[in-house]
Amino acid sequence: MVFYIARCAGQFAVALVGIVTVAFFLMRAIPGDPALYMLGDFATPEALATLRARLGLDLPVWQQYGIFLARALQGDLGMSVVTGEPALAEILASVPSSASLAVAGMAIAIAVGVPLGVIAAVRQGSVVDVAVMLIALLGISFPVFWVGITAILLLSHALGLFPALGATSEPGFWKGLHHLALPALVLGLSVAAYIARLTRSAMLEVLGQDHIRVARAMGVPEWRIVWKLALRNALVPVLAVIGVTFAWSLGNAILVEAVFSRPGLGSTILKAVLARDYQLLQAGVLVLAAAVVLLNTVLDLLYGAIDPRLRQQ
Amino acid sequence: MSAAFELRGLTAAVPGEKRAIRLVEDVSLSVHAGETLAVVGESGSGKTVTFTSSLGLLPKPGRVIAGEALLEGVDLLKLRPEELRRTRGARIGMVFQDPLTGLNPVFRVSEQITEVLRAHLPISRSAARDRAVELLTRVQIPEAARRVDDYPHQFSGGMRQRVLTAMAIALGPRVLIADEPTTALDVTVQAQMLDLLGDLRDADGMAMVLITHDLGVVARQADRVAVMYAGRIVETGTVAEVFAAPRHPYTISLFRSIPDIEAPTGTRLTPIAGSPPDPARRPEGCAFAPRCFAVSDAAGCRSVRPLLAGVGHAASCHRQSMLETTA
Amino acid sequence: MTTAIETIDAVAEAAARRRAAIRRYTRHPGFMIGAIGILLLVMVAVAAPWLAPHSPTRTDLMNTLARPSATFWLGTDQFGRCVASRLIHGAQVSLQVGFFVVLISLSAGTIIGAVAGYAGGWLERALVAVIDILLAFPSFLLALALVAARGNTLDSIILAVAIAYTPRVAAVMRSVVLTIRPRPFIEASRAIGLTPWTIVLRHVIPNALPPVIVVATVSAATAILAEAGLSFLGLGVQPPTPTWGNVIAEGQTAITTNPLISLSAGLCIAYTVVVLNLLGDGLRDTLDPQMRRNTGKLL
Repeated sequence: MVFYIARCAGQFAVALVGIVTVAFFLMRAIPGDPALYMLGDFATPEALATLRARLGLDLPVWQQYGIFLARALQGDLGMSVVTGEPALAEILASVPSSASLAVAGMAIAIAVGVPLGVIAAVRQGSVVDVAVMLIALLGISFPVFWVGITAILLLSHALGLFPALGATSEPGFWKGLHHLALPALVLGLSVAAYIARLTRSAMLEVLGQDHIRVARAMGVPEWRIVWKLALRNALVPVLAVIGVTFAWSLGNAILVEAVFSRPGLGSTILKAVLARDYQLLQAGVLVLAAAVVLLNTVLDLLYGAIDPRLRQQ
Repeated sequence: MSAAFELRGLTAAVPGEKRAIRLVEDVSLSVHAGETLAVVGESGSGKTVTFTSSLGLLPKPGRVIAGEALLEGVDLLKLRPEELRRTRGARIGMVFQDPLTGLNPVFRVSEQITEVLRAHLPISRSAARDRAVELLTRVQIPEAARRVDDYPHQFSGGMRQRVLTAMAIALGPRVLIADEPTTALDVTVQAQMLDLLGDLRDADGMAMVLITHDLGVVARQADRVAVMYAGRIVETGTVAEVFAAPRHPYTISLFRSIPDIEAPTGTRLTPIAGSPPDPARRPEGCAFAPRCFAVSDAAGCRSVRPLLAGVGHAASCHRQSMLETTA
Repeated sequence: MTTAIETIDAVAEAAARRRAAIRRYTRHPGFMIGAIGILLLVMVAVAAPWLAPHSPTRTDLMNTLARPSATFWLGTDQFGRCVASRLIHGAQVSLQVGFFVVLISLSAGTIIGAVAGYAGGWLERALVAVIDILLAFPSFLLALALVAARGNTLDSIILAVAIAYTPRVAAVMRSVVLTIRPRPFIEASRAIGLTPWTIVLRHVIPNALPPVIVVATVSAATAILAEAGLSFLGLGVQPPTPTWGNVIAEGQTAITTNPLISLSAGLCIAYTVVVLNLLGDGLRDTLDPQMRRNTGKLL
């Protein structure tokens, strides 16, 4: 197990270098000149040249890459052009707000999606199954920002259950939670739909396996078979999809933050885009990708805990 | 003496395009305490379905449409689901064919045995674990105390089948159904496994049903034998009777298709031509007729379904009397 | 004589097989709803100039935020534009995005994935590493960053979304190719000395297509959602050109006076995504039942 943890940590480090590398070349590969992008179309050639020199864009690509990688690994992702602050610091400052949204959303998604998927699988072909699958289909089909707007309309304006603003400056944990609830619910439900679909198909596969038939023949109660013996097997593919959907829901989080006017990574990145703050945007993309890699590392550790066969390889 | 386990006219079917497809039809058999009944037949002949359906384990949409499955006089098919669950595993155990997939890959062996024990008994986890070690020792797993917390993938195929056997006998069942328990195992391990099952039967006085397609196993292990073909029992009797004078052409063909060490050198093996009929398209009359060496239209082989006839040693064949005189 | 009869039999048999295949599709309710639904939408988009009761961009400041009526089916927005006409025209943008994104990401992803699954050695390892790393970038964020850098014309949006979603297609393709690689006909092709490129193009890709077609329908849906999201953030095709995303965004500011604007635009998007998903699920069930497993896990 210690060896397994060490290996996961090693993979995490390699992946970090990987995302920095890919981000660097992706940004260089797309047509367009960052200097021109930052200064706008009416920049003077002198101003462009100065900015290029300051960003190191006049150096050969490999040298640029070396400098970029070395700095990035020291936590230096350049300065925000607009505020002049270190880009990484500015991005990291907005992480807690987004992280609480993403974590709360994921928690809701798992808490809702897994049980629904299990129930649908157990009652395959029944009205319950059809209903769950229909709701799940609708859940992945409505744009998340639209769900947000509709939720505000119904739950905030019409019923007054939750505040329409996704954040508050007032102190207090419960206050914050009250404002977080609706955005987290909106973010979580679309992911819950994916998780429910996947849990259902994973459970159907597991429930058809021999060891389940053995457990039935041994008289193990059906609820123990479903919720303990089968579910733990089904969780391995479900965890895999949680990794995929996490990246996806971070993308959605940008939209949810916009709908609920909630500060966070999304709004910072959006601000960077609108202000043409190239360095800040780049830092934001890197931090989000790093978050996904971190989550995948945690999931790898969890797989090892769930499925003993993986620990051994 | 009444039978420990008895099937009477068991018929199980799945819904078909036009009408129900009968997987097993009118199966009657019985097995007494301390005795082994071998059920023999090709794959697809309905051996496994017979017993899974009598335990209420037939996967949907299959279901039992007629017959009784009596465990010490109680019809399992009439029990409420919860009563049936309490019976399964406690009073009647089952060992399946493939030990590699039969254990849950993500739970320790101790957890899986504990799960079975706690499904039927109000015992603590630690007591259940102690009992698991005893059970593993009983099925002759070396160093049981050390291995009880291992995961299934850390055991060999033969050892996994022992673990599954330990789970099946954990609650001291009166009847043990072993469904091709050695088919998936190495030849060298097969004999050990069969000996173990025989020892367990004798020690506990269980009634045992041994499902197999290996006539050698039948000869070594069983007291009585039932031969199945296309969902029906076509011949039944004591092992001595059936081996000495098989009466059904299918049984005779089975014997001809296996090597016999005492046969004169140069004797050719005769495989049975063709394959068993699709359950949805069984021929009218005798299901074995298309492959039978003794088939006769005059005797009604292709039009009338033959019934199991005979006292003790019985066979379902229109040509029985003819075969007996020539055999 | 016998050969003629055999030929007739063979033809009849092939026709029967084809009929059976068609029946498999027509009897699948999800597939039929999806196929008819998407066909209707394409017809609406093509016929938009004739179907729409008004110009989608003509403003009328005397008639803003009007209630639904016989002339303005869904009312008007804050500039007095006909919401229904904007939605009908908006279908064009969404469908173009869906179609071209799938075309681009599918071609690129299929080739990259097939090579990554078939090549072996360092090339495979390098491609797999790059795909894995790209999957760590949230696709929507990647599309957003690319649009930010390239500007928000329809072309650049399509390209950005396509690039962002290509790694996903490549990953699916590779997992499918891995199941094809050990099959005997690939071995046979290699034995008769075909070049790896010929094998990939003629044998690997055609055999891997069914699951990829399923992924294509589903990614069309994802692409449409992504475009709507970009539009909603103001980074999509710019107003006054109507897109469902920007109708929702504009409707949000008037949500309390005329909620119908945002609601109906969201329903348009959801309708499109639902029919595409139904089509995808239907294809998955009918093309090859075994495939459920291959694609089921990748959304």
